[in-house]
Amino acid sequence: MAFATIGTKGITDAAIATDDIADNAVTSGKIAGGVIPASRPNAQPLIINGDMSISQRSTSVSGITGNGVTTLDRMYNAISGIGTYTVAQESQTSGNAFANGFANAYRLDCTTADASPAAADYLYLQYNFEGQDLQVFKKGTANAEKFTLAFWVKSNKTGTGNIQLKDKDNSNRQCTQSYTISSANTWEHKVCVFGADTTGAFDDDNAKSLNINWWLGSGTDFSSGTANHGVWEAQDNTKVNDGGTLNINDNTANDWSITGVQLEVGEYTSDTLPPFQHESYGDNLQRCQRYYYKKIDPGYFGVGNIDGNNDAQIFVNFPVVLRTNPSAIETSGTASDYIIRTTFNTTCDAVPVFSSSGTSQALTIFKKTNHGITNGSACLGRSNSSSAYLAWSAEL
Amino acid sequence: MSYSIVHTIKDTPEVKIYGNGKRSCIGTDKEFQEWLRENRDNLPSDIQAEVDAENLIIQEAD
Repeated sequence: MAFATIGTKGITDAAIATDDIADNAVTSGKIAGGVIPASRPNAQPLIINGDMSISQRSTSVSGITGNGVTTLDRMYNAISGIGTYTVAQESQTSGNAFANGFANAYRLDCTTADASPAAADYLYLQYNFEGQDLQVFKKGTANAEKFTLAFWVKSNKTGTGNIQLKDKDNSNRQCTQSYTISSANTWEHKVCVFGADTTGAFDDDNAKSLNINWWLGSGTDFSSGTANHGVWEAQDNTKVNDGGTLNINDNTANDWSITGVQLEVGEYTSDTLPPFQHESYGDNLQRCQRYYYKKIDPGYFGVGNIDGNNDAQIFVNFPVVLRTNPSAIETSGTASDYIIRTTFNTTCDAVPVFSSSGTSQALTIFKKTNHGITNGSACLGRSNSSSAYLAWSAEL
Repeated sequence: MSYSIVHTIKDTPEVKIYGNGKRSCIGTDKEFQEWLRENRDNLPSDIQAEVDAENLIIQEAD
């Protein structure tokens, strides 16, 4: 019996009992996205900073020709021999991504083109995961889950882009998938499904286990093979950008932007995809600080003691436990931005240098040749400029 | 930017700190190691001396 309409409260409380509904009568396709939480209810998103709101290092860096995280936290530029780029946190004020709650995006602009890259040249955006954050995929077991990657993307170019999942724990096993940008300069939402992999488990530790690589251009070393889309297979670099036509490297008019990146456990379509899990700025920042902490307080960096004629040891606590012990410290590059404070200020004559670090704290050396302060005196490390900062990286 | 030895931690053994004017690090630092690989044929004398003495190892890329 079919009803044309059911009026208000046409079905009374408890009128439908469990036995009234046949097994499998209601499929997931009949349930709107978000009504029933995904397989990780109440969890934080697997992708950190997927809304591109955190940019501790800088909001825009130009002249990029090599690898590294330069602007947006967790977003690694993989660039080799294939032109020069500006990477920026792009504010959104209109468009489909903005209309869906995304006020920021990662944007890559080509500023020196290379339309004929050498075979080994590459250009892609990379995101890295710790293995202990991926155990929910049960990779390498009979119950392995599929991966669904969704994101908003915009470019002046239309064409096919490739995405590579790369398993760093199992001889770089890979799975590639493609998406199409249909309209130039228009935010489009893409949902890409990658297969489950019953071979090779992710290590349950804090090391790098998985890359997501959005390929934007390459030489033939990465495009001469034939990709087996959506299927995990042994490493074969020739397949990872097979059929990729974006080639953001081929003209200085080119740009590519992305935001709203989410990775879900299992297979979803654009209709069934769970809603993006927006975090508060503070929560997002704290998750990013596990990988990079930039202390930019305008006043004091930490307390310490005078150590000999030229140094002061300054102790800094981290606000979160970092992924691993940092092995370096970054500064503004200007010695006079830093001061050793006792009962008076002594301006440094070299930038602070790394001494040692754990996952919760670091010791830093502030330097002033022949400072004249009594050895062993208590002191503070402080800033002398709004440009002063100290930063530690524990990136993957 | 080129690196040089910017500090020595008087430990046993001593720990050399390498800096480029903006960042400083221990010898195993990933970014420093990348710089070492790129410049292995033209290293500054203080760093070459550390390599020659095998106090500093240039690691191959992973």
